[in-house]
Amino acid sequence: MKRRSYLIALIAVLALVVAACGGDGEGSDTTEAGSDTTAAPGTTEPATDTTEPMTDTTGGDDDLVIGVSWNNYNEERWALWDEPAIQAALDEAGATYISTDAGSSAEQQLTDVEQLITDGADALIILAQDGTAILPAVASAAEQGIPVIAYDRLIEDPGALYITFDNVGVGRLMAEVIYEQVPTGNYIIIKGNAADANADFLRAGIEEVIGEAVTAGDITIVGETYTDNWDPALAQTQTEQFLTQANNDVQAVVSENDGMASGVVAALDAQGLAGEVPVSGQDGDQAALNRIALGTQTVSVWKDARLLGQAAGEAAVALAQGTALTDVEGVVQFDSPGGNSMTSILLTPEAITQDNLNVVVDAGWIDAATLCQGVEPGSVAVCE
Amino acid sequence: MSLTEAPTTQEPEVKQKPSRSVRSMVRDSEIDVRMIGMLGLLLVIWVGFNIMSGGTFLTPRNLWNLSVQFAPVAIMATGMVLIIVSRNIDLSVGSMLGFVGMAMALIQAELLPDWLGFDNPWTWMIVLVIGLVLGALLGLLQGAIVAYVSVPAFIVTLGGLLVWRGAAWSLASGRTIAPMDSTFQLMGGGSRGSVGEVGSWIIAGIACLAIIGYFGNDRRQRNEFGLKQRPMWATVATAVIGCGAVLGAVLVMNSYYLPENVARAVAEEQGIPWPAGGLQIPLGISYPVLIAVGVMLVMAFVANNRRFGRYVYSIGGNPEAAELGGINTRWTVVKTFVVMGILVGIAAAVTIARLNAATSGLGTLAELYVIAAAVIGGTSFTGGIGTISGAVLGALVMQSLQSGMVLMRVDAPMQDIVVGIVLVAAVAVDITFRRRTER
Amino acid sequence: MTAPLVEMKDMNVSFGGVHAVEDVSIDLYPGEILGLVGGNGAGKSTLVKTLSGAQKADSGQIYIEGQPVTILNPRDAKALGVETIYQQLALAENIDAPGNMFLGRELISGLGNLDDSAMEAATRKIMARLNPKFENFKTPVARLSGGQRQSVAIARAVHFNAKILIMDEPTAALGPAETEQVRQLMRQLKSEGIGIILISHDIHDVYDLADRISVMLQGQLVGTVDKDDVTMDEVLAMIIIGKLPEEVTESELQDLHG
Repeated sequence: MKRRSYLIALIAVLALVVAACGGDGEGSDTTEAGSDTTAAPGTTEPATDTTEPMTDTTGGDDDLVIGVSWNNYNEERWALWDEPAIQAALDEAGATYISTDAGSSAEQQLTDVEQLITDGADALIILAQDGTAILPAVASAAEQGIPVIAYDRLIEDPGALYITFDNVGVGRLMAEVIYEQVPTGNYIIIKGNAADANADFLRAGIEEVIGEAVTAGDITIVGETYTDNWDPALAQTQTEQFLTQANNDVQAVVSENDGMASGVVAALDAQGLAGEVPVSGQDGDQAALNRIALGTQTVSVWKDARLLGQAAGEAAVALAQGTALTDVEGVVQFDSPGGNSMTSILLTPEAITQDNLNVVVDAGWIDAATLCQGVEPGSVAVCE
Repeated sequence: MSLTEAPTTQEPEVKQKPSRSVRSMVRDSEIDVRMIGMLGLLLVIWVGFNIMSGGTFLTPRNLWNLSVQFAPVAIMATGMVLIIVSRNIDLSVGSMLGFVGMAMALIQAELLPDWLGFDNPWTWMIVLVIGLVLGALLGLLQGAIVAYVSVPAFIVTLGGLLVWRGAAWSLASGRTIAPMDSTFQLMGGGSRGSVGEVGSWIIAGIACLAIIGYFGNDRRQRNEFGLKQRPMWATVATAVIGCGAVLGAVLVMNSYYLPENVARAVAEEQGIPWPAGGLQIPLGISYPVLIAVGVMLVMAFVANNRRFGRYVYSIGGNPEAAELGGINTRWTVVKTFVVMGILVGIAAAVTIARLNAATSGLGTLAELYVIAAAVIGGTSFTGGIGTISGAVLGALVMQSLQSGMVLMRVDAPMQDIVVGIVLVAAVAVDITFRRRTER
Repeated sequence: MTAPLVEMKDMNVSFGGVHAVEDVSIDLYPGEILGLVGGNGAGKSTLVKTLSGAQKADSGQIYIEGQPVTILNPRDAKALGVETIYQQLALAENIDAPGNMFLGRELISGLGNLDDSAMEAATRKIMARLNPKFENFKTPVARLSGGQRQSVAIARAVHFNAKILIMDEPTAALGPAETEQVRQLMRQLKSEGIGIILISHDIHDVYDLADRISVMLQGQLVGTVDKDDVTMDEVLAMIIIGKLPEEVTESELQDLHG
């Protein structure tokens, strides 16, 4: 019996090691990404170890270390697009890349930021799990003279550089496309995680477009809800319930991202409404783009995450070299909900619909085969 | 060989004056009072929501949707009962579901098409089998560490929660994988994933006969051995109610008709002309529900009628006594985890079929709902106590709460609060009730 | 003089550095009750567990009916006709009387399913003999009284045609009437040729029922005596002081009651 226990323990440990190695986000081959595009050339270099000892920070450009604090690797885009783009920008400037993953924990992220500073980061790029909870870490970095970039998600600290796609603009764009097709009727709005400021930014953008129509009574919102964790399965159940309540009398569904849109479309499909009721999304997920080609989703607001990563990488280097916050290229002032005037770089998103699918193909974001899977020949131009 | 040499009062084998107290009546009828309580709770929730949602909750459509929505948790909860009963826990269920689901999705979306082409009739079966085997292996690994290396189940499955989630992500680098094979999709319900009117009535008929047969067999067996019978009224009542419930449920399922566009499409496919008043095609029992009920019946049978089940409960009641009785407790524990893994595989199949996609976050936090379902259904963490049917009811209670709240436009954070409160309250009531009736 | 039913020769059991049982040899004849006594920590339960399969001996040899046997687990013991009534009864609280009776040896129907009806019927039969007032065949044993639980444990031991019965403190939790019942049962079984090893703290019980008495002290065997050859005080002296009757003095015997 003892021998058996040891054998089993050995197998267990091996299995854990194998799985852990595979699960380690950093350095896992990004070529696994379905599209065999040369998305970001030279991005297949494995990331360097996060625990690299601190190099001389007072040295020249070659010694610059940029620390990136990720909130959670489970979202499709971070490792596929953002990280390689940041790394490419850093490589070009000759800076070193170190990173941490907070696993969706705001507390963990505080530790992570401290760790990056200890490891010698000259500038920080933070993708905040919770924009308010991270403030102490940001303040601490400021005290130590380390510039901070708030990446994609808002951190209410006027000393930080806020680089994002204009999320209000994203909401506006997706609503515009839907509103054009459905100027009157019943809407369902599926929002993201309640604790995520982006969910509210998007909603604000949506409101800009349809707000008047709602007041005038042309548009009725028959269902609106936050969705824990932006969970697609939850979005499916909620959409099902809303459809039941409205007896299928729904003319449009605005979903704040593509993941949830897959749940929305599944729910519509069960009622035979997929393709008839316009659905929105964002992120440019491959599955979503495929749905747009098939006609079951109307629009996905695409934020070329590579541009975001590139901008952040370049700005980080500039800040680390001593450039003043307001002197960084391309900044504007942005009034945050918390009343702060944030120095920001706001990138412009693009709405992808069936008419301009070629944009994502040409940009190398997705390959035609994946995009066109299941598409009837002759229905979509790009798929010929 | 009697021990009583000079018995003080030798009572003949006649019934003493029959005590017609309610308590003894209930005991003789062998009705599970707890189960009645749960059904009562369910009824209260359903009627309450129906009123508050303006009559939408108790419509065939909503109930049909509800049955599909609660299926995956119900499936997994049956396995969780055995694990908790034998004094263990499995926290990795959600992550396992994500990993197995992602694996199945990748196989049918990216691997098999290269060999078998798209929409091959065998695809769904191959994928499902692989999923079940994978789940069983994961369960075997965890169970072996718990049973033979003696690491507490809490720790092992906590590790599993982390490992399988990371592994799920790595399988596809975080991508969403879609769509699923068209036959496979049927396992998730949807407009085509149900048995249809005739099939449903046939199933109802078989079920009814089975219920009658079960009670009949029970009476016959007891007669054969000269054992005490349930009072006839109790047997008849339970059988009638059971049969009635099945027929009623199928009636509801068959009252939910295909949405018009789908009905038209079906009519076209089958070459049926479209009548003026429209065509009402009932959906009937959905496949997820069929699978869930099938799982429940098999698990209940195993728990009550097989040695494995008896051993699980013995270990829960007194692990030492089980050992001294000669039961191979370690192997039994391993089997509970293997069973759990297989059930996770089934639930994963249903889940990705329903969503028609697999995401790397699939199943996050599912273990909490599965454990809550088992616990609301009467499973106790002290071990030895818990029923399969209770867990399924528990899953139904929780899903009813959540779906009902969406109908009422209660927002997500508030839903979480309500579910949490109900969970604690349900268990508190159960524990108090148990204490009162003990001795 | 018939051959011994059980012979345990030079048994040794150690836990860590503690020698719980040290070179102990006892034997048991058919139709006799052997009392096994000693203070707390004497090693009686441990010794007996090597026979019942609940404990593996480090060294020593057990013979049953003259044949050397290896007992590695409870199944082996039961297969050899050794049944045990443990001090804690070893009942699964959540399971009913028939289930406990057949714990680990469930009756199976043709298809491999549990035959609950057969098990209940068999249990009723036994209980009719042992404890006719017993009624609760479907309630979990946790809800039964101490005496009822005891009778389930006894019934289990008796039902399976044991040749050797080990009883560890069988009357500790019982009232006088039930204790008397157990004693009568033991006499009955004895008359059927079954050998019983009785462990008890109650020196009166042991003196009353046992034919021979083996005394252990701190893991070692002090000695084995015929009940007819000794007084209760002399047995007490063996238990407490560890001296055999021929060695002990009058004053030491007086001191025992000090």
